[in-house]
Amino acid sequence: MLETVVQAVINGLLIGGIYALVSIGVTLIFGVVKIVNFAQGEFVMIGMYISFFLATQFGIDPLLSLVVSMPTLFVLGVLIQHFLIRRVLGPNDMPQIFLTFALSLLLLNLALLLFSANYRTVHTSYSDEAIHLGGLYIPVAKLIAFVVAMALSGLLWLFLHTTDLGRAMRAASQNRDVATLMGINPNRVFAVAFGAALALAGAAGSLLMPFYSAYPFVGQVFVLMAFVAVVLGTLGNVVGALVASLMMGVAESLGIQFVGADSGLIVVFAMLLLTLAFKPSGLGGRRAR
Amino acid sequence: MTNERPQSVVASRKAAEKPRRHSRRQFLKTTGTALAAAGFGAVPLRGWAADPVNIGALYPTTGSMAQIGVGCVAAAKLAVEMINDAGGIKSLGGAKLNLILSDVQSDTTVTRTETDRLISGNKLSAIHGCFASALTLIASEVCERAKVPIITGSSSDQLNKGRTYTFTPFARASQFARAQLQMSKLVADQPKVAVIFENTAFGTSTSNGLKELAPGEGVEIVMFEPYSAGFTDASPLINKVKASGANTLFSVSYLNDLILIVRTVRQVGLNVAINGGSGGFVIPDFYKNVGKLADGLQGVAHWNHDMDDNAQKVNAEYKKRTGEFLFEYAGGLVAQTFMIADALERAASPDPQKVREALSTLDVSSGYAAMAPGGKVKFGPDGKNVYGRPVGVQWQNGDLASVFPKEDARAPLIKS
Repeated sequence: MLETVVQAVINGLLIGGIYALVSIGVTLIFGVVKIVNFAQGEFVMIGMYISFFLATQFGIDPLLSLVVSMPTLFVLGVLIQHFLIRRVLGPNDMPQIFLTFALSLLLLNLALLLFSANYRTVHTSYSDEAIHLGGLYIPVAKLIAFVVAMALSGLLWLFLHTTDLGRAMRAASQNRDVATLMGINPNRVFAVAFGAALALAGAAGSLLMPFYSAYPFVGQVFVLMAFVAVVLGTLGNVVGALVASLMMGVAESLGIQFVGADSGLIVVFAMLLLTLAFKPSGLGGRRAR
Repeated sequence: MTNERPQSVVASRKAAEKPRRHSRRQFLKTTGTALAAAGFGAVPLRGWAADPVNIGALYPTTGSMAQIGVGCVAAAKLAVEMINDAGGIKSLGGAKLNLILSDVQSDTTVTRTETDRLISGNKLSAIHGCFASALTLIASEVCERAKVPIITGSSSDQLNKGRTYTFTPFARASQFARAQLQMSKLVADQPKVAVIFENTAFGTSTSNGLKELAPGEGVEIVMFEPYSAGFTDASPLINKVKASGANTLFSVSYLNDLILIVRTVRQVGLNVAINGGSGGFVIPDFYKNVGKLADGLQGVAHWNHDMDDNAQKVNAEYKKRTGEFLFEYAGGLVAQTFMIADALERAASPDPQKVREALSTLDVSSGYAAMAPGGKVKFGPDGKNVYGRPVGVQWQNGDLASVFPKEDARAPLIKS
């Protein structure tokens, strides 16, 4: 019994690490640029396809392809911020919502057109391997994904707290007008934030590839969890999103184990409802905005 | 129900085609009448084709089920070509079959509007589709109301309840279940089965059949759980299977879920025989994604490409065109198209009601129309093939071999 619980927690934490990469991206964009990026899942999909094609065309391990997917998506993020998002920033939220939603649909259908709806899998030597500890097992590919995800989250935290640009980003997220008065160039800060968020989505894609299939709709599976995590962890709060993602992974896994195999998401959404009812600002408590 | 539908590229393209088809038909009609009047009799001249017979094809070629739908469309085109090349429908003066495709987008709402649109926008003699039970149940409802016969490879037992225009030439979900249970006894002396199934029409109907029939077949079910289709992680579910002490796993799933399940079972080091049933398990994509891990895995299908000589012949042609073997749904669809042709031949009319009558009296045991496990097709009053039975299959070296029952087996079952 104990073993089953521990195994369920391990499984939950491992998938929670991936949720974290997606949700941190969403919360970073929301915190800094103040827009909700509905297309974040599609950027995960792009990351997956980049890794898939590098693996099948050039034999590059999906994990190594991080060094391609992350910069590519960073640049894509800067370009999207510069040419699209910048134009709709303003007091009215509607154009921003429509823009990122449209972007999501565009990317999804573009992927359908280019790659078809087929599932694409990369088979690596460690895809089916697991570390066995007593009765417990830890899938190698997921463990690597988890460790890298945590390392990237840590790096982002360091960046936000120790570099000038990071501090500027946090300042811009707290009060855009005052930050501008202090000599911070919001366009530059927003572009870096958007780029960094997309780079994280790209990383999530590459890390997923050894154990999950790429297909045009794949982003939607993860983005739903990401939005819940972002709300649970307080909008705009990076650490909150990380903690909430891990909690959701564990809640989902325990739900499947002890409530019913199709109730994983019910447990997660129940968590969301209760949090919104009793602590509307999210589990993080203090408002990070 | 109106025949309006959202504006889309497909819609406008189809709309653009429509007037042309009408004018050609009118042209042929006028020409035919003129020729008859000129004393050539009612027999059409060589070179003057009779009116083509429209057959509707409802398949998801976009959306989550697209990869199967696209294969179905390729098979439907192949079947129509085969019939037309062999001279079309002779009793209708060699009329060619004209396939009218419709993309139901893997979506139940779209399926309803598309079926409506297809029927009201075209003079159809019959329809085939949609393979996925959730979609077929809706399409068959619309066909019932419009009195157009639909023939389908979908296996939901519900399709045989209260419908008179729906024909199901292949095995029903409940029959799949019995075959699966019997196969489990071939690999384990005392099968303890964990049944996990996706919470959809397909998953629920198939697994309910398993549950009902297990006691009668002497198989113990130790776990019976629905899961949310399209999950991110199979580990919690397989953790649960492990805790149940099962030695056999029945997974009623479409492709992506099954890939995750098979990989996770391997990672856990769980030693169970896996029967993937039908669904995503019996298509070439499964092996492409799972590779050698798939070898030894069992399943059940309503059709398999090595069943008989005709199946092998059609398979060779399909393989030449698409590079992949003719999978269950697509292969069954070729047979269905020949059943429609057989009915048209005997009805000697493109009128959908007469085609329905002819389908209900279909009785074949040779040729492509009889290309079903058991080799015989005859519909009962509920539209179900009275001879219908599934074929047990197993992945062996990247190919799907028929292994069960003995009469249909083309290769011995490998015990893993």
